[in-house]
Amino acid sequence: MAGLNIENLTKRFDDVEVLKGVSLDVADGEFVSLVGPSGCGKSTLLRIIAGLEEQTSGDIKIADRSVAGLRAADRNLSMVFQSYALYPHLSVAENIAVPLRMRRLTATQRLPLVGRLMPGARIQADTISQDILTAAERLEIAHLLDRKPGQLSGGQRQRVALGRALVRDPAAFLLDEPLSNLDAKLRVQTRVEIAQLHRSLNATFIYVTHDQVEAMTMSDRIAVMMGGRILQCDTPEAVYDDPDTIEVAEFIGSPKINILPLTYGTDGQLSLFEQGLGLRGTGRIDGAVSLGLRPEALHLATENAVLRGTVAHSENLGSEVFVQVDIPGLENRVTLRATPSQRAFLRVGAPVSLGFDALAALVFDGNGHRVRGIQVAPRSATEVA
Amino acid sequence: MTRDWWKHLILILGVIVVIAPFYMMVSYSFKSPGEIDRGEGGFFGRQELMIDPRCVALRDPSRDDIAAAADRFPGQSERQIRDALMAEAEVECSMHPVVFNYSKAFTEAPLLRYLLNGVIVTVSIFLLQVVVALPAAYALAKLKFWGREAVFGLVLFCLLIPVHAIALPLYILLAKLGLTNTYAALVVPWTISAFGTFLMRQFFMTVPDDLIDAARMDGMGEFAIVWRVMLPTAIPALLAFAIFSIVAHWNDYFWPRIVVTGNRDLFTPPLGLREFKGDGDGSFFGPMMATATVIVTPLIVAFLIAQKRFIEGITLSGMK
Ligand SMILES: Nc1ncnc2c1ncn2[C@@H]1O[C@H](COP(=O)(O)OP(=O)(O)OP(=O)(O)O)[C@@H](O)[C@H]1O
Ligand SMILES: [Mg+2]
Repeated sequence: MAGLNIENLTKRFDDVEVLKGVSLDVADGEFVSLVGPSGCGKSTLLRIIAGLEEQTSGDIKIADRSVAGLRAADRNLSMVFQSYALYPHLSVAENIAVPLRMRRLTATQRLPLVGRLMPGARIQADTISQDILTAAERLEIAHLLDRKPGQLSGGQRQRVALGRALVRDPAAFLLDEPLSNLDAKLRVQTRVEIAQLHRSLNATFIYVTHDQVEAMTMSDRIAVMMGGRILQCDTPEAVYDDPDTIEVAEFIGSPKINILPLTYGTDGQLSLFEQGLGLRGTGRIDGAVSLGLRPEALHLATENAVLRGTVAHSENLGSEVFVQVDIPGLENRVTLRATPSQRAFLRVGAPVSLGFDALAALVFDGNGHRVRGIQVAPRSATEVA
Repeated sequence: MTRDWWKHLILILGVIVVIAPFYMMVSYSFKSPGEIDRGEGGFFGRQELMIDPRCVALRDPSRDDIAAAADRFPGQSERQIRDALMAEAEVECSMHPVVFNYSKAFTEAPLLRYLLNGVIVTVSIFLLQVVVALPAAYALAKLKFWGREAVFGLVLFCLLIPVHAIALPLYILLAKLGLTNTYAALVVPWTISAFGTFLMRQFFMTVPDDLIDAARMDGMGEFAIVWRVMLPTAIPALLAFAIFSIVAHWNDYFWPRIVVTGNRDLFTPPLGLREFKGDGDGSFFGPMMATATVIVTPLIVAFLIAQKRFIEGITLSGMK
C-alpha cells in the first residue's frame, strides 16, 4: 500500500491536448474518485498512472518514488477494466492466478508441463492456490473457480476481474468504470461491496466513473475532471455543498443545480428580477453574476415570492418528488424537491411560489468562479421568501 | 425450397465437377489395368484375380532352377518342367487388383519414407511460420511504432508476389549456400508467410486492447502476451492458417521438384507420384492412383477433424 502523487501531468495525442496539467495527491489508503463527463481524460489519466500510456510531461510518484520510465508490470498496481478483460481461454481460478504466477514463479517454473517439476514450483503452486481461494471466498466466487469467463454472468465476471486485481498486494488499485456494464440493482450492490472492500483492505483506490452517485457514495475525496483538468478535488460533501466553480456545481448533483441570473448592484446588493435577495457581495465581481440553488434548497412558499411560476412537469420517485417549474423570464425550468405529501399542490399547471434557503445559495461570477464571502442580511437570515 | 431448386442444381453441378477427379482417382486405385484401359467395372472394378506380369517375369526359371526342380517332376522333359514352374509362378503372382495397386504403391517406391518427409517438411514449415508470423502480426495489430502502416503495406505487397516469380533467385541463393538437396531447402524459403502474418494480424485486430493491457498489468512482457494470450485466443484463426499452409506444402510439387534433384530420400509425396510415370508400358495407373489416394488421405482426415473449428476460424468469430 502506498500513496500516489501526480505532478502537473500533461498528455497530447498528436495535436489534441487531452490532459492539461493535472496534479493530484492521493494519500495511502485513500479512496479517490475521478468523475467527469465522457471524453474529459479520466481513462487517459488512469492509464498513464498504470504505465499503459506515457505522459507528455509531468511526473508520477508512487510511495514517493518516481515511476517515470517504469513498465506497467513493475509499478505494482492493479487495474480493473470496464470490459473486465478476462482471459477467455483460462478458467476463473487460472485467471486469478495469472498475476501471481507471473510474479512468483520463475520463467522455467511457468513452462507448461515441465514447469511443475522445477524445484520450488510445488510449494509456490500451493501458496498460489491458497491465495486464489482466499480472494475467491472474499468475493463469494469460490464455486465458480472451474468455469470459463464465457460461462459467467456480467456480475460474476466483474467479481472475477476484482479478484484478479486484489489477489496480490498492489501499491494501489485503479478501477476504470468497473460497474458501468452492470444493471442498476447489481451496480448498487457492488458499489457497497467495493466500498466495504476498500475499508477492509485499507488500500489506496483510484476509481474512475462518470456516475456521480458512485463517486459521492464511495469516495473519501472526489476529483472532478473536465476538459483535461481537475477542477476541484475535495470530500463529497465539500464538492456538493461548496463547489469552486459553476461547472462542478452543475456536474455534481442530480437533478442538476438551478442557475438563475442575478444583478449585482453598486451597493453590493444581489437581486433577482430586480428584487433584492438580502444577499450582499463584498468587493468586485466580474461579469454576469449567477445564483446556484440546489433543488432541495428551494421550497414552496405561501406568500408572494421572487420566484413565481407554474408547474410544468413532476417526477415522483416515491420518497421525494422533483417538480419542474416554468418561471416567466427564465430560459430554463427551475427544479424543486418536494415531499410526496405536497403533491396535491403540484399538479401540472398549478401556480407556485418558491422560496429558498439563503445560506444554501451559491453565487458565481461571470467566469463561473465561485464568489465567496456573501453576506446574508439579518432580515432574512435563513430564508428568502 | 422449391423456389430455390436452381441454387441446388448449380451446387450439385459444382459438387460433381469437384468430386469427379477424386472419384476417378479412388476408382482407378481399385481396378485392374485392363478395366482402366477399357473403362469398365463400375466404381470398384470386378476384383477378378489378375496376374502381375512383372512378378511372373522375375520368376522366369533359369537352367539351374529347372535342374533343381527336376526331383519334383520326375520323368518330365526340361520344357515341361519349365512350363510347370511358370504355372506355379503365375498362381503365386495372381492377386486382386486392389491388393496389386496398393502393394505396388508401397513397394515400387518408398512411399512411407515420402510420407514421413512430407510430415517433417509441412510440420516444420508450419511451426516456423507460426513462430515468425504471430509476433509480427501482434506488432502490426497492437503495437504503435513508426512506419507500422508502411510495413503492413509491404506485407500486403508480398501477398501479391507469385512463388514462381522468385523461384529462380531463391534456387540460386540456396545453391550458392550449398543447401540444395537438404530439408532446409524444402523448409526455409517458406518460413516467413506474408499470408499468415496478414491473416493473424486481421484476427488480432479484433482482440480487445483491454485484454492486452490487463496482461501487461499482470506482469507479462510482450512475448509472453503473444504466446500466452494472443495464441490461445487465436486458435480458430491459427487452425484456418494451418490448413492453408499444410495443404499447400503437402501438395506442393513445384518447389521440391526444383531443389531436390536426385536424392530420393528427400522426396515428398507428390514427387513420389513421378515414380509411376508410364515408362513405355503405361499400365501403372492403378498403383499411381493408389499412391495418390494414400497421399491425400491424411489431409482429408485432418480436415474432417478440424472442420468445425476451421469454419469458425474463417469467419474470425473466435471471440465475443
Ligand atoms: N490513443 C488515443 N489517440 C488519440 N486520442 C485519444 C486516444 N485515447 C484517448 N484519446 C482522446 O482523449 C480524450 C479523452 O479520452 P478518455 O478515454 O481519457 O476519456 P474518458 O474521460 O475516459 O471518457 P469516458 O468517460 O467516455 O470513458 C478523448 O477525446 C479521446 O478521443
Ligand atoms: Mg474512459
